[in-house]
Amino acid sequence: MTVFKTYLKVLNKCKAPILMYTIFLIFFGGFNLKSSDNQMSFSASKPDILIVNEDKEEGLTKHLIEYLEKNSEVKEIEASEEKINDALFYRDVNYVIYIPKNFRQDFLEHKNPKIEVKSTGDYMASLSEMHLSRYLKIASIYNETKTEEELIKNIEETLNHSLEIEMTTKLDTTGLEKASFYYNFTNYCLLAGCIYVICLILSSFKNEKINKRTIVSSMDYKKFNRSLLFSNSLFAFVLWLFYVLLSIILVGKVMFTTNGLFLILNSFVFTFCVLTIAFLLGNLVTNKNAVNGIVNVIALGSSFLCGAFVPMEFLPTTVLNIAHVLPSYYFIKNNEVIINIEAFHLETLKPVLFNMGILLLFSIFFIIITNIISSKKRKIA
Amino acid sequence: MHNFKYALKTLFKNKMLIFWTFAFPIILGTFFNMAFSSIEENEKLNIIPIAIVETEELEDNKIIKETFKSLSEEENKDRLFDTTYTNLEEAKNLLDEEKIAGYLYVTDTPRVIIRKNGIEETILKQVTEEILETENMIANISEKKVEESINIAIQNKEEVDIEKIVANTVSEIVTKLDSFTANIENTSNSHLSYTMIEYYTLIAMACLYGGILGMVAINQNLANMSNNGKRVSISPTSKTKILLSSSFASFVTELLGVFLLFLYTIFVLKVDYGENLGLVLLLATVGSFAGLTLGIAISCACKVNENTKVGIIISVTMLGCFLSGMMGITMKYIVDTNIPFLNKINPANMITDGFYSLYYYDTLDRYCFNLFSLLFFSILMLMIAIYHLRRQKYDSI
Repeated sequence: MTVFKTYLKVLNKCKAPILMYTIFLIFFGGFNLKSSDNQMSFSASKPDILIVNEDKEEGLTKHLIEYLEKNSEVKEIEASEEKINDALFYRDVNYVIYIPKNFRQDFLEHKNPKIEVKSTGDYMASLSEMHLSRYLKIASIYNETKTEEELIKNIEETLNHSLEIEMTTKLDTTGLEKASFYYNFTNYCLLAGCIYVICLILSSFKNEKINKRTIVSSMDYKKFNRSLLFSNSLFAFVLWLFYVLLSIILVGKVMFTTNGLFLILNSFVFTFCVLTIAFLLGNLVTNKNAVNGIVNVIALGSSFLCGAFVPMEFLPTTVLNIAHVLPSYYFIKNNEVIINIEAFHLETLKPVLFNMGILLLFSIFFIIITNIISSKKRKIA
Repeated sequence: MHNFKYALKTLFKNKMLIFWTFAFPIILGTFFNMAFSSIEENEKLNIIPIAIVETEELEDNKIIKETFKSLSEEENKDRLFDTTYTNLEEAKNLLDEEKIAGYLYVTDTPRVIIRKNGIEETILKQVTEEILETENMIANISEKKVEESINIAIQNKEEVDIEKIVANTVSEIVTKLDSFTANIENTSNSHLSYTMIEYYTLIAMACLYGGILGMVAINQNLANMSNNGKRVSISPTSKTKILLSSSFASFVTELLGVFLLFLYTIFVLKVDYGENLGLVLLLATVGSFAGLTLGIAISCACKVNENTKVGIIISVTMLGCFLSGMMGITMKYIVDTNIPFLNKINPANMITDGFYSLYYYDTLDRYCFNLFSLLFFSILMLMIAIYHLRRQKYDSI
């Protein structure tokens, strides 16, 4: 009990960093998880665009704008060139369309007026360009009819031809993707939080004077170690539980599906693995000042390399190959596998269990090394 | 000079210091590079894998068949799809394994079957719809044309060859469609790589971490911080000299660190700082100076122990970098548009925004604004430091 109480005392002093990591998580989580409407039927992706109209908004011009509005999210941005450029750079808009003066007049007179655009060059911008050129194409072909009304009517009729779309998945993919995003991010928080706290606490117990006092005390060193282990595990468990509760608040009811439960289970296995890493580092590092640096390098490193911040599919293959030696890789990989499982049976669960097994192997490996190191250190003392 | 030499020596002997100011930004930069190097490539329109189920109706529908064929040809520079022709069973399997974005199944009406919502799926839908619309348009126009031609023929009492008229009008429209290109001109800046911001914040971080160096150097001379400081304080050397030489020593160390980081980012990570390297270095120097003065001000104004001072500098720096987009560039944009004041007083953002304006804008107004803000910030910090340092007297410590 004495050990546990001391533990809590030291823990109390490390509130700030834990709080900081959690705020990061909430902020990032909340940031990317907003607007979580369930989409079980097809809805087209809409690019963010900006229309700068220098023509009068009537007739054909009006119809073009209406068509674009229907197929994209039109953003309202102050019409200063600098603001527009900034918005484009930070991907607030994907595509900016400048409708020139007299566009309508020139178009009706077959002059094929030039439309200036600004584009980010990504998927969304390409989609937007498709919309625009499709409209212009259709309009120019029909542009032989006598009146403008007839032209617009013809365009409207043709554009209304929509296609039958079927979606096969029964899963709430958007919700699950958010959940896996959240859990991938906890990779950083769990690693940083656990390692930082456990290393700091172990190093304060290992302080030369305190260590000597503990050794000469009547307390059995096995009991001492056991309660230290217990306290650390409890801390890791509470931290994990906290993040799980947070995920239920942030992500919502997706967490109660089978996929969600497996995500939670997976993070539990990973927490255990992190605990063993933290123990190993706590035994290796005795200098309190070094802890901060090591935590940052390990936590940031494995988060960046294994796709906790940037989705795995966006990482270059060489980086992913390097990442195979890190436990985080298997944790994050597992999250990605889990959210794509449609039916749960042994066959589909095989890769999940395999990844969890590797995480456990890592843990055992770390425990063995920790034991070797700590037994050597005791002999020297 | 004597003091300068020793201040430099002490700074380089401090391992923790060297780690944070020299190694940490470089390590972080390497991580950035590993994580972000291909993210923008992936956002560009790639060739989308799809499947088409072979049916009899597909054979009859020339337009769909030909369009998809030409969009999947490897020589086509506007190639959009990588198409597999297969049967229904196989297409379903491919979709379940996520090998394809979706498949096209033409029976009486064409249908597109996809697995989930997404941009690739939307593009597949978009293209298919476009084909259907073209079909509809051709039908509409040729109907009218044919009617007209028949009327004319009947009026002229000529023989009516409907098939020929239909074929003519269709081919007329198709040539028109092919020859028409929408007159769209892309005027956007070619410097659009937003991951650059990450590296700029990295430089900003390195500059501001320099504050730790300034702080440590000043602490050496403060009577209430170290025994060394007590001794320095009672020595007959003028205080101005000592402080200036220590600050200068830390400034040199900091510049060395930032310079190393520059070399590393330019030659190893291939970061693009725009064309004007002289202005880039000027900004970095002023930025380092701002970081240094921040450190000195904190070290003079806050009467707490050294670890807390380090904590304050790191948190201020991290918060500043966070607001200027280190953990996601959207953050910078949100702050810039909604609370511009916050980023106007944030030194990390002044540095980041300065680099950004050099990279993205042709004019130098914004750059100069940031540069002068940094200078102003430094002078303000120095004034705070001087205010707290002057007339310090201790009866006992």
